[in-house]
Amino acid sequence: MRTLILAAVASLVLCAPAQAQRLAGVRPDVASDEGGLWAVSDKTEGSARQSAELDRDPALNAYVRDVACKVARDHCADIRVYVMDRPFFNATMAPNGYTEVWSGTLLRAADEAQLAFVLGHEVSHFDRNHSLLSWRRKKSTSNAMMVLSAGVAVVGVAAASSATTYDGASSILDATRSLIDVVYLTGMASLFAYGRENESEADRLGLDRAAHAGYAPSAGTELWRAQMGETQASDFKRVRTSGTRTNIFASHPLDAERIAALQENLKSLPNTGETGRARHRAAIRPHLATWLRDDLRRRDFGQTLHLIGRLAADGEDLGVLNFYRGEAHRQRRGEGDLTSARDAYLAAAAYPDAPVAVWRELGDLRRKASDAAGAKAAYETYLAKASTAEDAWIVQDSLNSLTSGK
Amino acid sequence: MRLGTRPLAAALVALVVTGCASVTAAPAGPFKAGGGQEVTLGRMWSDISPIMVSRGKKVRVLSIDGPVLNALYVGSGLVPGDNLIRSYVKEHPTPLVRAGMSTSERLEFMSDSIAAMGYQRVDLNHLRAAKLGAAPGVRFDLDAATSEGLEIKGTGVVAEVSGKLYLMLYLAPAEHYFQASLPEVESILASARISG
Repeated sequence: MRTLILAAVASLVLCAPAQAQRLAGVRPDVASDEGGLWAVSDKTEGSARQSAELDRDPALNAYVRDVACKVARDHCADIRVYVMDRPFFNATMAPNGYTEVWSGTLLRAADEAQLAFVLGHEVSHFDRNHSLLSWRRKKSTSNAMMVLSAGVAVVGVAAASSATTYDGASSILDATRSLIDVVYLTGMASLFAYGRENESEADRLGLDRAAHAGYAPSAGTELWRAQMGETQASDFKRVRTSGTRTNIFASHPLDAERIAALQENLKSLPNTGETGRARHRAAIRPHLATWLRDDLRRRDFGQTLHLIGRLAADGEDLGVLNFYRGEAHRQRRGEGDLTSARDAYLAAAAYPDAPVAVWRELGDLRRKASDAAGAKAAYETYLAKASTAEDAWIVQDSLNSLTSGK
Repeated sequence: MRLGTRPLAAALVALVVTGCASVTAAPAGPFKAGGGQEVTLGRMWSDISPIMVSRGKKVRVLSIDGPVLNALYVGSGLVPGDNLIRSYVKEHPTPLVRAGMSTSERLEFMSDSIAAMGYQRVDLNHLRAAKLGAAPGVRFDLDAATSEGLEIKGTGVVAEVSGKLYLMLYLAPAEHYFQASLPEVESILASARISG
């Protein structure tokens, strides 16, 4: 029995198909398994084109596509990039070249080099056919698990039937069930391990692609460090501890492991290259307010505040950023948050890019703090700046109630 | 993305609960929404509250053709800590009623709750003063879309009475369904009585 299990484990580990590199501009035969995956991806891409989450800003899409092409090189014509307004750090590239970059990624990439690293990572999945190979691996592993489980069951039943006592037969059947579980868990663990290997390889190749496109190679480690910082800043303990725990069924390596591997890879790359920080900021600036509002709807205000802190580090867009810092504190309403919100709104008000809503919120906060004169001044400023706003009558109503003392 | 097992567990629980629940008729006439709020229905609706597992505990949901085609949310007497849409995962909270909300915060509560239902690009507009029962409130219209791109329109009203939040929210696809039931919804909104 032990020999059978060891053979099962070995076969699960050894049955991985060989790595294959994709040729540029080649579409697979529709009758092949790869052609089938492409057909599914084509359908998903069609849905993405109709999605309400699709960001249709041509300038933003052109910017992201340009960066993608720089790292994709020969595959530039094979990929199609779609920016999706989703407030999470994520990007994907399907087997047919359909690529999604989520707004949460654009907001969290501090510069173009960090975006290039993310896109280089995705292009590497595409170039190395990771989706196809993973699918084949799942298929072969599940087949192997089925055959081996059946084999274990046959041997176990045979052994149980030859047992001389009921207890002996029962023990053999219990052991058989346990061994079938071992086969299943080993198979699943090998699949997840394979996925983690692919992620590590895509990190390494993505770094190479970004570096060869002229970007600073340190961007990858900087991005992952920032992600670790954001995880630690979460309002939720479960999120804060998620970055420090792994198991054999994890789909991705730990962030710390990714940073260590990238640092090792940095040794073979020249410590030069541009960050493209100004270009990146110019591309995302028109969307900052919308994306930060979307991020607030995740309601992990600690993470949003960490993100705003990173965005504010270079001293740009401080009217918008301080306003949303105030919004995060106001909505969280934890110990000292309303004071922090007031301070952030006041800081925002000093910059020309402050949204006019700063004065409405400042008025509401001062009113709650029984600062009638301060509230009146803020409401009056709001009305002077936004007399035709949809909610001007609401602010006027608040102002009137202050005046009448209600 | 990394998906946890808790949302799956919540979905399974919801599925089980849904399996036990049933939709009931809400005939034309007075409809007690709980929390001291009553409205008058001009036609037969279905009370689909039992199958709307993500609604807040003080929220009733009525529909004519099913929740995807028209849904009228009636929230009554929500106090701090209550919500319009329930959260099943602590790390993914939904908007809560808070003590001392300003008018802007009540509107923010509505738009963020609608976004928490999964609607995209939620835009509250045409804000205007209105009554909910005898209480002063804010009427609003809204535009949104499903993630698949279907355009949604809506209208609603929110008011605070004695520190409790009362609301009505009607959502339907912009094409045909919104307009088809709007006169009936307007009549229901105008019929609200709050005795809480």
